[in-house]
Amino acid sequence: MKNFIKYTAVIATTLLFSASLYAHHSAAQFDFGNTVLVEGKVMEVRFANPHLRLILEVTDDARGTRDIEFEGHSRNNMRRQGLMPDMFIEGDTVTIRIAPMRNGEDGGYVTALRTPSGEEIGRVSGAD
Amino acid sequence: MPKTKSLIRFGAHIVILSVSLFGMLLSSIATAAERPDFTGAWTTYRGNPGAAGGPSRFMGAELKLTPQAEKARQDFISITEGTNHGAGNSCVGGGMPGSMLGSGGYPMEIIQRPEQVFVIYEAHTEIRRFYIGDEAENPDSFFPERNGYSTAHWEGDRLIVETTRLKTQVDSRYPHSNQASIREEYYIDEPLADGTRVLAADLIMTDSLWLEEPLVTTKRWQALPDYHVLTYECSEPVWLDEMEMLYEEAGLEMVQE
Repeated sequence: MKNFIKYTAVIATTLLFSASLYAHHSAAQFDFGNTVLVEGKVMEVRFANPHLRLILEVTDDARGTRDIEFEGHSRNNMRRQGLMPDMFIEGDTVTIRIAPMRNGEDGGYVTALRTPSGEEIGRVSGAD
Repeated sequence: MPKTKSLIRFGAHIVILSVSLFGMLLSSIATAAERPDFTGAWTTYRGNPGAAGGPSRFMGAELKLTPQAEKARQDFISITEGTNHGAGNSCVGGGMPGSMLGSGGYPMEIIQRPEQVFVIYEAHTEIRRFYIGDEAENPDSFFPERNGYSTAHWEGDRLIVETTRLKTQVDSRYPHSNQASIREEYYIDEPLADGTRVLAADLIMTDSLWLEEPLVTTKRWQALPDYHVLTYECSEPVWLDEMEMLYEEAGLEMVQE
């Protein structure tokens, strides 16, 4: 665990420079120049490779309450960013930081996540 | 008298043979001592982001494709751009040279034995084996694969790896035909300022069908001492979705997680 944390910064920085989405698929639909925070109730989560799948129940004035599916970093990369098993479960409310869809539709690419107890995977808030 | 001469001649032969054997032994010990041990975990070099082989370099842009390759590449782009379709998304590894040059910036692990070197890229758990000496077989007796078949030999402190039996690939940042062959030369490079070990490999990919000129580049990694490369489970969710559908259709409860 000690070494895991020690080298997280090295690998995370490397990933920033190496287009970590790489050949999984095109990331053109996500606006990585934008940061949006979304809060919602966890309806389904699958920490998997090559990408996280997260469905949140989200409510806002514009579109009301609905389930939104998000994609995110691979389980391995999120593990290096601090993800631990059982950090949160379905029904919990979490805050995620996303790169929103370019076309304005619901969804986006999760770059960081904060659990109900305040633990963070990546940095949810802070300057880009 | 003739018997004494024979004995002297026999003794001389024994001495010459012993000296030769001792020399060969010393020579093999010296050669083995020159060989570095690449065993361990490595991640992409970030000592100097602007350096060749550093993380900020997009090497795919340097490929000079033949018209035939360009058409194949553009056809692939036209059906996949802006979609979720991609080899990685289908849990398929990059294949050579993508696995070695990129691998998404994920770490890799090397396990070195005298007769075989294993490289395990964390992303998609791609495994390459470099067969050395008698371990190496005729590549033509193997089916083509995305990472090909690799044989290797030592030249002093450098490991030379030759890879052939590659499949034609358009779904790579480094497209190539099945005529491609790749030569890699692995060596220990100058360490970082804090003493961290640096591994480098010069790569040349030639492809008479798809490349106007060989792809020539250098990749560097820095050591991650005592680090454990993770497993990369990728295809299980696809199977779980399939199971879920089957259980749902049968009206049964699925208990598997």
